[in-house]
Amino acid sequence: MTTKDIHTQIEGYHRVLDDVKSAQRYGTDYRIMKGEVARVLDLLHPRRLDLRVSEVIIETPSTKTLRMVSETGYLPPFEAGQYINLFVETAGVRTSRPYSISSAPGMTAYYDITVRRQQGGFVSEYLLETVKPGDRFESSGPAGQFRYNPLIHGRELVFIAGGSGITPFMSMIRETTDRGLDRSIHLLYGNRLEGDIIFHRELKERAERHKNFIYTPVISEPSKKCSELTGLISGDLMKKVLGRVEGKNFFLCGPGALYDYCMPELEKLGVPLHRVRREMFGSPVDITSDPGWPGEVKKGTRFTVKVKGKGDLSALAEESLLVSLERGGYAVPALCRSGECSLCRVKLLSGKVYQPRGAHVRASDLKYGYIHSCAAYPLSDCEVLL
Amino acid sequence: MNNYDVVVIGAGNGGLTAAATLAKQGLNTLLLERHNIPGGCATSFCRGRFEFEVALHQLSGMGNPSFPGPLRSMLDSLGVVNEIEWVEMKNLYRVVVPGKMDITLPANRKGFTDALIEKFPNEKEGIAAFIDLVYRFFTEVIGAFYMRDPEISPQKYPLYFKYALADTQTIMDEYLKDPFLKLAISVYWSYVGAPPRLLAFTEYAAMIFAYIEFKPYHMKHGSQVLSNALVDSFIKNGGDVRFNCGAKKILTGQGRVAGVVLDTGEEVRAPYVISNASPMATCGEMLDKEHQNEDFFRQMGGHSIGPSAYTLYIGLDCPHGDLGITETTNFICTHTDMDRSFTEMKMRDNEPGQMLLTCYNVSDPDASPPGTTQIALVDLKYGEPWLSVPPHQYYDYKYLYGDKMLSVVEGLIPGFRAHIEEVEVATPLTHMRYLNTPAGSIYGFNQFIRDSRVFGALDPGIPGLYFAGAWAGGGGFQPTLMSGGSAARAVAKKIRQERG
Repeated sequence: MTTKDIHTQIEGYHRVLDDVKSAQRYGTDYRIMKGEVARVLDLLHPRRLDLRVSEVIIETPSTKTLRMVSETGYLPPFEAGQYINLFVETAGVRTSRPYSISSAPGMTAYYDITVRRQQGGFVSEYLLETVKPGDRFESSGPAGQFRYNPLIHGRELVFIAGGSGITPFMSMIRETTDRGLDRSIHLLYGNRLEGDIIFHRELKERAERHKNFIYTPVISEPSKKCSELTGLISGDLMKKVLGRVEGKNFFLCGPGALYDYCMPELEKLGVPLHRVRREMFGSPVDITSDPGWPGEVKKGTRFTVKVKGKGDLSALAEESLLVSLERGGYAVPALCRSGECSLCRVKLLSGKVYQPRGAHVRASDLKYGYIHSCAAYPLSDCEVLL
Repeated sequence: MNNYDVVVIGAGNGGLTAAATLAKQGLNTLLLERHNIPGGCATSFCRGRFEFEVALHQLSGMGNPSFPGPLRSMLDSLGVVNEIEWVEMKNLYRVVVPGKMDITLPANRKGFTDALIEKFPNEKEGIAAFIDLVYRFFTEVIGAFYMRDPEISPQKYPLYFKYALADTQTIMDEYLKDPFLKLAISVYWSYVGAPPRLLAFTEYAAMIFAYIEFKPYHMKHGSQVLSNALVDSFIKNGGDVRFNCGAKKILTGQGRVAGVVLDTGEEVRAPYVISNASPMATCGEMLDKEHQNEDFFRQMGGHSIGPSAYTLYIGLDCPHGDLGITETTNFICTHTDMDRSFTEMKMRDNEPGQMLLTCYNVSDPDASPPGTTQIALVDLKYGEPWLSVPPHQYYDYKYLYGDKMLSVVEGLIPGFRAHIEEVEVATPLTHMRYLNTPAGSIYGFNQFIRDSRVFGALDPGIPGLYFAGAWAGGGGFQPTLMSGGSAARAVAKKIRQERG
């Protein structure tokens, strides 16, 4: 007697078998649903966007907003504060850079990305000098964790921005004021010169029109006729303009120096660290000046990186493996380029790399030698598995 | 280089054990994974100073080295058991209906029975008899099927033939009265997604028996460590793995599987494919129309898509003891009506009825940085209602249900919300995004009584193609991990036969 025949002797077998037959008769033809999963996901989380520059808006002498529309006519929703990773090909290297979307999520016809010239930044240079309306780009879908979470962030928010770190906040401020959301925002916006302030006029106007938005620009190297607050965004300054800090949630976005300065100031003020959220801000300008960097490896040192089964390349110690791989013509998926998202994860088969603190590498990835190539710098000859 | 014995599509639990088993047997195997990291559900992600476990709550079937369960034996054969620090849980779970019932059930038969009797003394006889039935029933299942008795008959295994296809609710109703007791004894139904009325007694008994006898387990650093260990074992045994690379098409020739076209457009030749993708995608999207088998689609059409989940991954800024959390596994219920909870799984915006709160730190102090706590708060939800949310309203809806869940938890654990440092929301659409399953299903097909494999396993109807994972063998860690091993053994046997 086969197992199948045995089963027919189970009490209720024929009754349930009728259920089976009936379920099949009234069942689903899954062939018809072909492509359904991809269609749903493409509306929310497309892997790639086909973008065209519709307008270039000059914000300051060193900053432009590139207004991007979709070639397909559709842009997915995003949460204010998120970024897209823009792919660019310049000087024969295909690379990418994450840019926060500065337009509001409600603006469904375009994404604005606002680009400021970075010292020695060949991508920002290219975007500011070369790009014109009509140019086409590929990007990732919106991504990123720097966003307001209604489950825990409460109603009173303090945004601390430095320079081009204003961009994710711009999206949040526009969303909150345009939609009349029940939360208040106080923006402290630090810049070196008055002329560096991005979105100054719009921020002033929004602050005038909306009671729940307060705008405090702070200038570190003021001109003689400067009428704004001056200095750095210190604990004293915060205390003066914010009053009470209890119950408020802090969001920081800016260059590394802003974090290095403001975090201890916030601590002094008694702000609990878990009420402070920081946006990652790309790779450090000079990794060799990182406190943990081994002094014996000098800037400019070159190592050989072997890519298993594919070839090898020469890599500079101060450039992330991701950049070196891109320079070598290897396509490595990348998204945040700040050590957080793990899309550029590769396996280190041999050699030593420097991984700055703050890279979000899973404990089990550390155990098995997986690294985030955007936040790993060679300290010796290496071999990686892509 | 482009010729393999087997291509495994997908590095979820089933794909990983399939690939690792094949490589271990010396077969030339390619493992494809569209994501950047292996594991499927068995993964983790980092937020702030936390690393969150995505899916594993209680691993069944492990047992200890002197009394190994089936899963331990399989993982041991792949050389990964000693790679992992295993964490055994002392209790099965705590069930709370705030203000009405609070009971914790130990992971041993006597403790389990005694705890129930202590809470429900009037039903002492019923409780003892019910648990006795579960044990006698499952002992028959072991004797007949696990021990492969060549002479299985209703005379020899009377309980099996009486109850194998019975529903759990009817049997419970025979022995037990109090609805709180019934909830307490059958709350594991949510690990399958079918309420007692729709849950075969075989499934129920297997769960209770396996968790009590082999104990629930977790692992240090979460399930990602198992996924990484399986990939490591696979690579060490000569396997090739490609991340960020899915399969676009399954090639055929002479009426059988002939290879796979990768996302990159590359063609790989292989006479066998084990698919860890959904059978809908495998046969409906990757196979050419002429190889789509009518019988297979008719048979599959009788199965319905199982639940997804709405999950909050929570990092607390304080030790769990500060909030009075004492158990790893906590089922928090606002009522005792499990049929109602099942219907609520089909709604997007109900009041939460039954949730699972897993506090990993209770069993594993290293589950998060010192002075913090890692928690997963889960409610099973069908993906269907989420599919109709207009994309531009998605982020408005995304947080609404989580807010309700947290309100219930706050009622039970005052001050909970104020201690949340990180919280990430995963809706059914999030699960769909990362698993690529229809309606974001996490368990594959529904596992109702009529879905029992007594009525036959899904056969794609083309030689060389096999399934692994939840859609093939039922949802959950143990079944998916085991399914990959079985598929690989079936393929290896075929290849050995062909090679003589």
